[in-house]
Amino acid sequence: MWDPLWLSLQVTACATLIVAVTGVSLGYLLARRDFPGRGLVDAIASAPIVMPPTVLGYYLLVAVGRNSPIGRVWEAVFGSPLVFSWQGAVLAASVASFPFCLRSSRAAIESIDRRYESAGRVMGLKPWRVTAQITLPLARRGILAGVGLAFARALGDFGTTVMVAGNIPGRTQTMPIAVYDAVQAFDYDRAGSLAIVLLAVAVLVLVAVRRLERTVV
Amino acid sequence: MRGRMRPGLVAVLLVGACGTAAGPTPDALTGDAALLVAGASDLRPAFEEIGELFTAETGHEVIFDFGSSGQLAQRIIEGAPVDVYASANVSFIDEVLESGVGDPETKATYAFGRITLWSMAAAWRGWSDLADLVSDPDITFLAIANPEHAPYGVAAKEALLSVGLWEIIEPKLVFGENISDTQRLADTGDADAAIVALSLAIAAGERGDWLLIDEALHEPLEQALVVVTDDPGRVEVATAFAAFVNQPAGREVMVRFGFVLPGENSGTG
Repeated sequence: MWDPLWLSLQVTACATLIVAVTGVSLGYLLARRDFPGRGLVDAIASAPIVMPPTVLGYYLLVAVGRNSPIGRVWEAVFGSPLVFSWQGAVLAASVASFPFCLRSSRAAIESIDRRYESAGRVMGLKPWRVTAQITLPLARRGILAGVGLAFARALGDFGTTVMVAGNIPGRTQTMPIAVYDAVQAFDYDRAGSLAIVLLAVAVLVLVAVRRLERTVV
Repeated sequence: MRGRMRPGLVAVLLVGACGTAAGPTPDALTGDAALLVAGASDLRPAFEEIGELFTAETGHEVIFDFGSSGQLAQRIIEGAPVDVYASANVSFIDEVLESGVGDPETKATYAFGRITLWSMAAAWRGWSDLADLVSDPDITFLAIANPEHAPYGVAAKEALLSVGLWEIIEPKLVFGENISDTQRLADTGDADAAIVALSLAIAAGERGDWLLIDEALHEPLEQALVVVTDDPGRVEVATAFAAFVNQPAGREVMVRFGFVLPGENSGTG
């Protein structure tokens, strides 16, 4: 009961952290910088939203599997495969939840009046300080909402994770996979209790995010 | 100021929780975790018992990943850190060995599987054979395992083909991902009946009624296993588990769940 929950929380925390950094960075670039192929990058980055999770998982498995260049480099460096490990589960959850953080933070950054940033520059702030002290703080509610969404999506991921990380009890069996496994074993009581705990955690997190959004003015 | 502190707090919590993943707990994340056995779904009830017996005797913990034999083989070929692979059909063992994974020396047949027509006790309508089922107008769905990658699904298809009923029943078929998923389809009442492994019919006990299907109607379900770990530190325990299945304690459990053992005659139910 608690093993899958603990694993799920760890995997989700890692994925959310990765997604928060990469999603907000790319969201900023897409909102504030013009570069060739911007539209294409935007479309590709959002693709995980429309792709069925299992399809996404399958291609991730192909991309980072043991016989792929990435998989080989990973194994050479860390000594064990990336697939079918908790790190693989983090990768799967990250890719699946990335677009939610990206889109929300991008929209938040885009909606900031550029005059605030110009004012900062006129006052002699270096570009990175404009970003860190004006743009991101002004966009924080949207960014926070995106991070919250990403957390929720990562916590609930089944299809992508099961393809990339498999269903190994205690190692890669996250909450959603444990629910599936319990149903397969006709253990409906366990499936029910796991599902209730998962739901409770998800609701708690969403309520917390909502409160944060309101208090962060 | 308060507003600025909170996102910081969130970040600290996330980093903290993530950091623990790199730490020693859960033991899952370290290399010397329990023996991992990937088994065909029909083995779930029997192997869970055998796993407990093995742990009691050797002190080594065993964890299982149950699924359809084909999907498990796929994962093992892709590099899943499995120690022992027990398939419902020997052909998948050969496929794994051909891909260069596993030790051919350890390949062993441990049982022959039987298929049954199963339904929940309340939904059982006293069918006497497959033809009886197929001609029953109240059958909306019959569940079988996906014959693309589940050996019990292949056997079900072969049996239906042998009695010339495949084409008639095909529009009413629903496919389970593996054999326990197939039983689930009937167990929830969504399918009227299912063709499942005898082991699962026995494990379900009073919950269902079942009819053994003549084994002459399908190719033998020769179930074999192989040691697939390439970690020298784990080979010994993995080999011990593989052998344990075929030793008296293991065989007693297998027989109880309706498996026919290599070298013995079919019990015909």
